[in-house]
Amino acid sequence: MNSAATTSPASVRDDRWKSKVSDVNSGVLGGVIAKPHPSFYVALALAAFCALLGGVAWLLQIIFGMGLSGLNSPVYWGVYITNFVFWVGIGHAGTLISAILFLFRAKWRNSINRSAEAMTVFAVMTAGLFPLIHVGRVYLAAYWMAPIPNTNNLWVNFRSPLIWDVFAISTYLTVSLLFWYMGLVPDLASLRDRSRGLRRFVYGLLSFGWVGSLKQWHHYETGYALLAALATPLVLSVHSIVSWDFAMSIQPGWHTTIFPPYFVAGAILSGCAMVYTLVVPIRKMFSLEHFIKEDHLEACLKLTLLTSSIVAYAYAVEFFIAWYSGAFYEWSIFKLRAYGPYSFYFWVMVFCNCVFPLLLWSKRVRRHMAVSMVICVLINVGMWFERYNIIISSLVEDFIPGSWGHYQPSLTEIAITVGSFGWFFMWFLIFVKFFPFVSLSELKLVMPKPLKASDQELSAQTSS
Amino acid sequence: MQRQESGVLALFKHLDEFATAARLVQNKSGFDGHQVYSYASYHELMDVAESAYGPSPVRWLTLMGSLVGCSVGFLMPTLMDYDWPLVVGGKTAGLNSAIPNVIFMFELFVLFGALATIFGMLWFGGLANPRARIFDPRLTDDHFAIYVPGVLMDSEQSRYLRSLGALELKAV
Repeated sequence: MNSAATTSPASVRDDRWKSKVSDVNSGVLGGVIAKPHPSFYVALALAAFCALLGGVAWLLQIIFGMGLSGLNSPVYWGVYITNFVFWVGIGHAGTLISAILFLFRAKWRNSINRSAEAMTVFAVMTAGLFPLIHVGRVYLAAYWMAPIPNTNNLWVNFRSPLIWDVFAISTYLTVSLLFWYMGLVPDLASLRDRSRGLRRFVYGLLSFGWVGSLKQWHHYETGYALLAALATPLVLSVHSIVSWDFAMSIQPGWHTTIFPPYFVAGAILSGCAMVYTLVVPIRKMFSLEHFIKEDHLEACLKLTLLTSSIVAYAYAVEFFIAWYSGAFYEWSIFKLRAYGPYSFYFWVMVFCNCVFPLLLWSKRVRRHMAVSMVICVLINVGMWFERYNIIISSLVEDFIPGSWGHYQPSLTEIAITVGSFGWFFMWFLIFVKFFPFVSLSELKLVMPKPLKASDQELSAQTSS
Repeated sequence: MQRQESGVLALFKHLDEFATAARLVQNKSGFDGHQVYSYASYHELMDVAESAYGPSPVRWLTLMGSLVGCSVGFLMPTLMDYDWPLVVGGKTAGLNSAIPNVIFMFELFVLFGALATIFGMLWFGGLANPRARIFDPRLTDDHFAIYVPGVLMDSEQSRYLRSLGALELKAV
């Protein structure tokens, strides 16, 4: 690599940065060490309350049985599986932003990758709860899901997408967790060096005794790049495998080959929208405006717009193929989605995922944080209803008219759904309070380099 | 407890000066066992590391882990399938139904590869090290440093480091 080229003053002078490398630690870690804005505690209390509500609902369901959930023939997969797919989707953008954009050397990722990775870990953790909630007797869940033989020495069916999903999600959670934590190690050492007493001891343990020697960085950088290379196909595979839970069945509306790319695009759309939804208020709460710049948030919105276009295209193709195939049951389901008793959810999905994001073509809208925030929240609403729409409309009316039914979520399901949002936000806010929200060592890499040559040039300009 | 060796720590603030200094002291006599510290992985410094340590062996561990994972991903479902053959969709068990095993091969390829990578990064980087010596809190903030063990403040090495642009020298 030509280091001379990368250290020339002209190449590093960047007027967009008003802060210097030496401002990063005090600016970012100030929020961790000092008391945050009171709104932080309000948000944390609200999230904890919602999580508690969901926990109580789940406990009641465990005590009194699955009857409380209201799930019954023909809709056995209701809101719980909707939530599962939604949260896995949210978890998608984190590793996309950290791994894929790292390989593409997209610099804007360096200020938001930490929050996106944390979001991934907590979202997949939340998603992982739903198969447990859905199976009812949670204490037997591990026995049903993992390849453990039953009393007849019968192994799991390795040709079932459900076991593929167990492997995919657990691998994704593990790799995302490792990727996130690996990035945190140098920053935890920075926190250790700024802390005293018990905090210093705890951060010292968590940072594994990192000192930032060249040897450590050398192996770290190689490991990070390899992990990014491993995580990249994993990102694409996870939601493809989740989509096979549906596409491998012969249920009308599910049995379609466009599902894997369509699910992946949808997951990235919801993930990017959630990153934006999380970063904007936290940026304000912890005064991180100098480090998470408008340009970075705008780049995230551009990615949201791109994936929204792909999702809109996928919706159109799905409809076209349903009509063009001449498959009667397939086309009937699609007509039911658009004009049947669940059409409200369908149109919410279309407007939130395809129509409202079109506003992001305007730079003025992308630069207007409040408007962009509303669009991103609407995208998340739309993406939740997309999964609800796919699951419910295909299950209520299948091949046999005698088994047709109607579905609406029970109070238990709604409480657990609210609880899942509370659980997710609670962990995210706890993370924000105790860990650096922005990757210190990676942010410093995209800021102007601390060069003697550029310092001299600057002092000459100041004196003249 | 093992007594830690004393030496001199030279602190730098500018990357260009520091990268040059790190390169120059690499093979210079009197700097045996020196250590270079940075708060971020600048390319300039990674070039110095590459010339000092060669390509990182972490990549071999990643490869090994991935290949082991891939093999386990194939063997586990196949052997379990032979242990109790399940006929699904009219297909007989084992190798005749091996195509879905690609999923397990892929997932475990990634999982074992990632675990091996983390292990390699920790092992070769000398982590976890509860007795790590933290010379100066500024090394994880905005300063670079070169530590030379077994030398004094008033030595040839210290003077050389100062001539290379060290802003501060301290005995540690």
